[in-house]
Amino acid sequence: MISFAVRRWTNLAVCTILSGLGILLYTLSSPALRHSSFFIVSGWVLFGLLIVLALYTVRKKLPFLPLFSSSQWLQFHVYAGLLSVVLFCLHIDVRVPSGGLEIALTVLYLIVVGSGLVGLGLSRTIPGRLTTRGEQVLFERIPALRRQLRDAVEGVVRRAMTEANSVTIADFYARRLVVFFADPRHFWRHLVESNRPRYRLLNELVVLDRYANTEERKLMDEIADLIRAKDDLDYQYAHQAVLKYWLFVHIPVTSSLLLVGFVHGLVMMVYYYAFRGGTG
Amino acid sequence: MEVITRPQRWDNPFDPDMTNAAVDRLLAIPPFSRMDPAKFSPAAPLRSIIHNDTRIGQYQHGDIIVREGDYGNSAFFIISGAVRVVIDDLPASVLGRREPRHKSFVEVLAQVWNTRKGIEVRDLAAYTTPSPAGGSRGDGARTRIFLQDVPAVLSEHKTVRLEAGEFFGEIAALGRTPRTATVFADGEAELLEIRWQGLRDLRSRVEELKLYIDQLYRERSLKVHLQETPIFRHLSEEDLTEVVNQTVFETYGHFDWHASYKTIVEGRAAGRLDDEPIIAEEGHYPNGLILIRSGFARVSQRFGHGHRTLSYLGRGHAYGFDEIVQNWRQVNQVPLQYTLRALGYVDVLLVPTPVIERYVLGPDRDAPLIPRSLLPPPITVPEAATTSHPEQERRRRIDDDFLEFLVENRFINGTATMVINLDRCTRCDDCVRACAATHDNNPRFLRHGPQFGPYLVAHACMHCADPVCMIGCPTGAIHRDAFQGQVVINDATCIGCATCANSCPYQNIRMVEVRNDHGAFILDRTTNLPIVKATKCDLCIDQMGGPACQRACPHDALRRVDLHNDPESLITWISR
Repeated sequence: MISFAVRRWTNLAVCTILSGLGILLYTLSSPALRHSSFFIVSGWVLFGLLIVLALYTVRKKLPFLPLFSSSQWLQFHVYAGLLSVVLFCLHIDVRVPSGGLEIALTVLYLIVVGSGLVGLGLSRTIPGRLTTRGEQVLFERIPALRRQLRDAVEGVVRRAMTEANSVTIADFYARRLVVFFADPRHFWRHLVESNRPRYRLLNELVVLDRYANTEERKLMDEIADLIRAKDDLDYQYAHQAVLKYWLFVHIPVTSSLLLVGFVHGLVMMVYYYAFRGGTG
Repeated sequence: MEVITRPQRWDNPFDPDMTNAAVDRLLAIPPFSRMDPAKFSPAAPLRSIIHNDTRIGQYQHGDIIVREGDYGNSAFFIISGAVRVVIDDLPASVLGRREPRHKSFVEVLAQVWNTRKGIEVRDLAAYTTPSPAGGSRGDGARTRIFLQDVPAVLSEHKTVRLEAGEFFGEIAALGRTPRTATVFADGEAELLEIRWQGLRDLRSRVEELKLYIDQLYRERSLKVHLQETPIFRHLSEEDLTEVVNQTVFETYGHFDWHASYKTIVEGRAAGRLDDEPIIAEEGHYPNGLILIRSGFARVSQRFGHGHRTLSYLGRGHAYGFDEIVQNWRQVNQVPLQYTLRALGYVDVLLVPTPVIERYVLGPDRDAPLIPRSLLPPPITVPEAATTSHPEQERRRRIDDDFLEFLVENRFINGTATMVINLDRCTRCDDCVRACAATHDNNPRFLRHGPQFGPYLVAHACMHCADPVCMIGCPTGAIHRDAFQGQVVINDATCIGCATCANSCPYQNIRMVEVRNDHGAFILDRTTNLPIVKATKCDLCIDQMGGPACQRACPHDALRRVDLHNDPESLITWISR
């Protein structure tokens, strides 16, 4: 079993060599050739590469087929994706495209590459965060767990009204906690690892201490625990949601890219052979 | 504060319906009539052992009593009638098991369109088509599989007939090893089934029984066991026989560890080791080489006021050889460097030090009988307290507390434990989806379970080295695959009694209510209740390419690890 570091450097080395070869070919080819055969070939190679990259989704749907492991596919996906950036740059002659279709294609490609890189970064950074804070929860179970916490806090509030015969906690619940326990909160704050909303809420609870009797203080401790649990759950929700939802950008845009790329290829072939006689 | 009566050994007798009259009848026939009650302790008298640790079973012609490969915790005594021991292998279908086979590429590909959409959908034909080789009678845990065509079995297979007054199944019961042969009733037979605890007491109190059982083990298994141990391989036939004759059998701990270890884990960490019987203690003279025959043992070293776990040993592992060799070299005499404790139940073989010195090492220190490559490096006394054990290097590479976690939770029992590195896992659930896709839309594990730091041990069948789930399955539906060794369930012969699910200490077997193609529950004609089946991970035994969960993980975050035979693989994986 090779280490991740060795695998990473090996893959990067292969990528660098292939990129170097591509750039060498591009540099050595004459300007005339570059504007004919090279673009045709590089375009279709790029399109083929994108098709293969997109097949990773199909592989995921067919886990029982002996088609290499998903991990091997992902490695290929990442490094072939990086290689496609070099190929793309050479294909557009390292300039900003001018035609409408080309601009659309470039934008789509950049979104796919950008979202892929973001996704890769997220998948390397977020798992560690999820491990260190809160309980390990299944994403689909989060709404049910949130309801449990809400029910628990409402139970404490009811006890405060009946046992302590006071509305101090109930008032605080109505003012500050109903919204907090109703839905996922502080999505973006959690993503930037900010604890400010949590501390603010807990501090507001501490301030109530001066109006509480012994019984209420015990109940306020329970509420503080529930606030922490809900905040941790929101933290898990925010990070797991990001890990899931970035694919909702990456995959649909890839489909659009392949479609527009195919149209672009057809148009260029028609232009190349019908109007220029295949002479470049 | 709740006050209860302290649980006693026989709170749950083997057969609650055992009567005093039946006990009287048994005590009147040999060998029980020849046993001297005075030799039994007042805490466990002979009569109570018979009353609580045995049960009488009536078997009809062709009834299978034990199956080859099953794990059992009981031995049998033939009261009347006779049984046949099948010497060679019976087909899997006869034993209520499924035939081991891999799907072809076309069958694997066909899963793309053949996968059922519903949950736990079953093909009714599999339950209604009678097996050509055997059938079943009785219900629940008393269900018995029988052979349809006994004459055919007798003509096609080698068998040995055992008559009234003979024992069988005692080696597997005492050693927690798989049954080595299938036994069926030859005509009507009345058998006394003795569970392990009772057999252990009878063996320790009745010298003839002890000699008989020990002799059987020496003849049938011990020589092979020793031959498989590298340090005995160079021995001649006569020397090996001498070693066999002088080897001592010892047993430590509780056979039913799976029922009690959770309570111990939940208790105070410092006191946990107090419940583990000491097999050999650090600082004591090494009076023999200890070979683990079955079960697990913890190797620990004094640290502060407690003990630090260094490693664990399983079947086939040896302990004490380093110290014996060191003392044989007569450089620096050393005591045992580590303590060996029983984790649950451990069966050990003790080869006395003089025997090792005479037959394995030899009289000449400059020309040892054993190949020099098998001799351990000398123990340097000043460092002995902190280094030099072969496991030390491993310990350095795996966190002490993580090792403790694996040992405490008995995950070391697993040969395919699902470990997930949460620092790499993106919670994408591709593993769960892959599992479902390969099992007709039904995932066979939960991506959830005990966690230590970033490592989570998921609720997936670990395919244990000591598969307690297999003990007591009345139809043999849960069994080890004959070729690859995975623990699998034959859905067609599972009767839904939940014995396996209740026995699994890791809660990795789930009982499910099965449905037809339209999503409706399949009901029992008699009770009108849904038919229930036991389900669990089968390690994708019939698929190409191995476990789908592991192959489906894009981030190398999930691994099926053999913690029993190859703990190095875990270390290699986590230090990637």
